[in-house]
Amino acid sequence: MGSIKIQQLTKSFGDTEVLKGIDLDIKDGEFLILVGPSGCGKSTLMNSIAGLEDVSSGDILIDGNNVTDLSPKERDIAMVFQSYALYPTMSVSRNISFGLEMRKVPKAEIEKTVADVSQLLQIEHLLDRKPSALSGGQRQRVAMGRALARNPRVFLFDEPLSNLDAKLRVEMRTEIKKLHKRLGTTIVYVTHDQVEAMTLADRIAVMKDGQVQQFGTPYEIYNNPANRFVADFMGSPPMNFIECVVLDDKLVIESQGEKFELHIKHGERLKQAGVETVILGIRPEMITEPKPHVAGALVHSLPMQVDVTEPMGPDTIAFGQWNGTEIQARLSPEAGVEAQATGLIKVQVDTSKAVLFDAFSGARIDA
Amino acid sequence: MRASTTSHKLYKTLFITLLLAAALVYLAPLYVMLTTSFKGIEEIRNGNILALPDSLNTSAWSKAWSSACTGGDCYGLAPYFWNSMRIVLPAVLISTVIGALNGYVLSQWRFRGSNFLFGALLFGCFIPFQVILLPMAMLLAWLGLANTVTGLVLVHVIYGVAFTTLFFRNYYVGIPTELVRAARLDGAGFFAIFRHVFLPLSSPIIVVSVIWQFTQIWNDFLFGVVYSGPGTQPITVALNNLVNTTMGGKEYNVDMAAAVIAALPTLVVYLVAGKYFVRGLTAGAVKG
Repeated sequence: MGSIKIQQLTKSFGDTEVLKGIDLDIKDGEFLILVGPSGCGKSTLMNSIAGLEDVSSGDILIDGNNVTDLSPKERDIAMVFQSYALYPTMSVSRNISFGLEMRKVPKAEIEKTVADVSQLLQIEHLLDRKPSALSGGQRQRVAMGRALARNPRVFLFDEPLSNLDAKLRVEMRTEIKKLHKRLGTTIVYVTHDQVEAMTLADRIAVMKDGQVQQFGTPYEIYNNPANRFVADFMGSPPMNFIECVVLDDKLVIESQGEKFELHIKHGERLKQAGVETVILGIRPEMITEPKPHVAGALVHSLPMQVDVTEPMGPDTIAFGQWNGTEIQARLSPEAGVEAQATGLIKVQVDTSKAVLFDAFSGARIDA
Repeated sequence: MRASTTSHKLYKTLFITLLLAAALVYLAPLYVMLTTSFKGIEEIRNGNILALPDSLNTSAWSKAWSSACTGGDCYGLAPYFWNSMRIVLPAVLISTVIGALNGYVLSQWRFRGSNFLFGALLFGCFIPFQVILLPMAMLLAWLGLANTVTGLVLVHVIYGVAFTTLFFRNYYVGIPTELVRAARLDGAGFFAIFRHVFLPLSSPIIVVSVIWQFTQIWNDFLFGVVYSGPGTQPITVALNNLVNTTMGGKEYNVDMAAAVIAALPTLVVYLVAGKYFVRGLTAGAVKG
């Protein structure tokens, strides 16, 4: 059991408001990711859930019980820290058992738990070592073992993978996801890495300036971003934002001195509202080499002058300019080679998943 | 290339010469003290001050230890040596324990005004002994601790806490706060975290604190002479009395032996734990 309800949570350090009224409803067993740029308040929010920091106002409920004023110990929460925070003078096995020891768990039970946890994380052979004799990945496992041993209601992960090298990070990411599937315990996970957020989460809370910008499934966040910030933050390479003049119910794109009209889903509405310019948000994978099997009113063909290409392996990112803005297109490797050779190519623009933002506020205007 | 090697060699020779000269300046008095303490009084009067003793005459040592006169009494330094031990050991222990707890709180459990408090404590390191002589005497009298070992322990603890707090605070500041947080989530309280997480990490800084406090308190003369009674004088005061008490001619050999005896414990502490001292002083800085 471990549902978390956060209501109107605020936190200030002196005059600086770090959290400005956070509301989140996390279901039991859910994998929630808090993501955002540094300084957005995600770590403060996590520390507040853990009870490591006092909140200024608002409530935190775990399984319906108000824990806002309880000490970390009483909340039955375990946390994995960015620096792992293993006790340097204790062996791996004592690191894992320390929390149980402090909670006066019988010795036999502690031994069994340590054995189970170390087997689960494949660290049995490390039990007698000190943390200083472990590699980064091993420390990470021990830190997780320490959290698992307590069998808490909620796990908190504070950027747990950011100190690992790229390859190990991907491995551990998968492992954490498997672990969650197996244990089914609620996880709140802080990261600034949007790939981690997309791959791990059941739901994502995107934060900025102490506020939740959007709270939804990875699919919703990616395909239906609440505002320009969320759209920009999630996705790599990032979404293209092209300022366009509205002509009737269509958007005008200028490429190579020529003007093209793009049909969009909610063109009628734009026309009725009398909007003059909008920001068209379109993901790079919707600007591709021509694909004859994709057709329809929302599929267009435009020329694109390619300045640079970045081959990624499975696809190639091509950089060009429309309406004076740099845009990125996602081409097949073969089309990428051609674009590199010829410079000027024809691309296919599919606006079926495009989104529109207000040119000034960055708010969604077509949702 | 060649020129730089030559000048490099020149500098090296210069440095070594300077270091040797400095060492000589420090060691020469020790040499004189040791050789003189093993000479007979006749030999001292007639011989060269730098000459080695004719034979190892230990009578001056036994006299200094057990029968030399310090003022009116003639029991040697022995009783005062134990007085000093009775003052130094508890004072070192208590001030180190308090310093460790203070440092732990000031580095890891910051509270409103904790920085101010630390600054105020630091100020204690700079208060000259003379300034507090009178008020402290009044306080000790008021507490009924005048002329007692307990009173001297109290004075040294109060003075020492400023230093030990500084040592431990600066050492503990280098320990990541996340460790405390992890331990709190693991269910450990204030003292459990100190005992299980911080204390096992503290040996280098404990050594620093112990050496520092031991040396300071053992070598203290001013507090010792002011706050002690006839039966509670520390060895530094007794040494002074011994040297100033003359029956007939001045017994340089006894004075020298007494001085070495008075200095011996601090020397021993240095020799045993000295290498940890430097290590401990720098450990915090490197770790942070």
